[in-house]
Amino acid sequence: MTAMPESEATYVVVGGGQAAAWIARTLRAEGFAGRLVLIGEEPHWPYERPALSKEFLRGTGSVEAITLLGAAQAGEAGIECWLGQRVTAVDRVARVVTTAGGRSVAYDTLFLATGGRARRLPGLDTVPAERVHTLRTLTESERLRGALGGAKHLLVLGGGWIGLEVAATARALGVAVTVVEAAPRLCARTMPPVVSGWLHALHEANGVRVLTGTGVAGVTGTADGIAVTLAGGGRLEADHLLLGIGIEPEVGLAAAMGLALDDGILVDAQGRTSDPRIFAAGDVARHPNAFAGASLRLESWANAQNQAIIAAKAATGGTAVYADIPWFWSDQYGVTVQMLGLPGLGTRAVARGTPEAGSGCWLMLDDTGIVAGAVAVNAARDLRVLRKLLEDGRAPLPDAWTDSATPVQRLPSRPNVGMD
Amino acid sequence: MTEWHDAAAADALSDDEVMGLSIAGVPVALFRQEGAFFALHDLCSHGAARLSDGFVENGCVECPLHQGLVDIRSGAPCSAPITEPVRSYPVRVVGDRIEIALNR
Ligand SMILES: Cc1cc2nc3c(=O)[nH]c(=O)nc-3n(C[C@H](O)[C@H](O)[C@H](O)COP(=O)(O)OP(=O)(O)OC[C@H]3O[C@@H](n4cnc5c(N)ncnc54)[C@H](O)[C@@H]3O)c2cc1C
Ligand code: FES
Repeated sequence: MTAMPESEATYVVVGGGQAAAWIARTLRAEGFAGRLVLIGEEPHWPYERPALSKEFLRGTGSVEAITLLGAAQAGEAGIECWLGQRVTAVDRVARVVTTAGGRSVAYDTLFLATGGRARRLPGLDTVPAERVHTLRTLTESERLRGALGGAKHLLVLGGGWIGLEVAATARALGVAVTVVEAAPRLCARTMPPVVSGWLHALHEANGVRVLTGTGVAGVTGTADGIAVTLAGGGRLEADHLLLGIGIEPEVGLAAAMGLALDDGILVDAQGRTSDPRIFAAGDVARHPNAFAGASLRLESWANAQNQAIIAAKAATGGTAVYADIPWFWSDQYGVTVQMLGLPGLGTRAVARGTPEAGSGCWLMLDDTGIVAGAVAVNAARDLRVLRKLLEDGRAPLPDAWTDSATPVQRLPSRPNVGMD
Repeated sequence: MTEWHDAAAADALSDDEVMGLSIAGVPVALFRQEGAFFALHDLCSHGAARLSDGFVENGCVECPLHQGLVDIRSGAPCSAPITEPVRSYPVRVVGDRIEIALNR
């Protein structure tokens, strides 16, 4: 599309997170020889976020261990990184990107990898800011770690993955934890009831007080902490409050630019937005997902990495499409949970091994008998083989799945299509 | 001088299999590929995962944590997120035993 040779082109990446780093790295790996500028709002070199609620929060991690694109690598690869700078405007006609500080750069191809920001609760203005936490960035993880150091009781609002991981880490640090979730069960947005029930029991067994189906009417500051009034009456006090109530995709820039949006920036299977010169990837992008047969906006580490790689390849002439089956993992109390597909859409759970006891895998089938996904508890290998099967459009026979004496690759399988 | 450590019986592994060993306190993943043996440091260069818990396919081992691929013969990174090589150790077969050298 660009008439000039690529070596004279300028590619600009907006966003300094995981997807941005993989776009920049991949462009160079694919031989892009022009000017490459990455602009990120955070002061840090691009890093991976998963540890922020796990080992980094606990104090056993390091910035170095999670850095994805450091100064040396960026220098070596010729990636110009403008860190601590927020892009505030993009002129699609002149093809110019401008930052809050007034710096600008003209682009031939643009990438938006702006991720998402943690949702806040309205009406918190009267609560002392140092008692209220969200967790998206390294800075916030450090701040929360500092708070947990002196805390006796943490109140987690939201029983999703981030809230539960923080609860687990806080318990490991000896802090009492209460989780308050408005939905009737934990991780209700993505998980089937059997997994919610297991998570509930896992947290209770580790001393967490879990209140599901519990709305919050208000939050106020106290002399030395916060107090939450519950919708059904009752009041909880704690030293600190963590809001784990999800993220909003960071689409402000894309909206101002007039790109097509639908809870995220709409992209095709190669990460192209409604403007063919502009790509998007990661938490901010909604892509057509072949496995789901629907468009999805995923908030996962694997999606941020692999969608970014495909977009960068496409921008350098590649033809590969992003066709991964959704995959996500979480670590809590030394248990690794891995999720494949869309297990929350399953209505029938078939267990292999004993996942509820710490080792096994639930296969989730929908009403028509199609395998919608799976959730593995300390059973990475089984899930890996299952992924291969599902990628080939096949699924194990549900009755055979329970036979944990036979390796998954030797189980009888059938095409993964509806039975009626 | 290379110091060889006894590691395992030569018939302990089939092709495309891997086993985790501790040799003089060093974690080692021992692989068999087309009848030949290869050894890698048994720790992923991306995070805290044992490559011996990984999945062997097409000459690579896939990390069980985040699915990064490492070349079994060289320890070279083959796919994201792995970008740093994993140390590979020399292996030889003496009679019916496999030996591994840690220093090189
Ligand atoms: C605490 C935590 C734990 C997690 N754990 C797991 C896990 O265990 N497993 C898993 O699969 N996933 C996990 N995730 C999710 C995963 O980290 C995200 O899906 C991933 O980081 C998304 O990458 P991204 O690049 O799309 O967005 P981000 O990583 O959010 O990066 C976006 C970047 O763009 C910058 N930016 C935004 N707007 C602008 C602008 N206008 N100008 C300049 N810069 C801008 C932001 O400052 C940010 O640095 C976790 C996330 C968090 C927060
Ligand atoms: S720990 Fe091996 S790929 Fe992440």
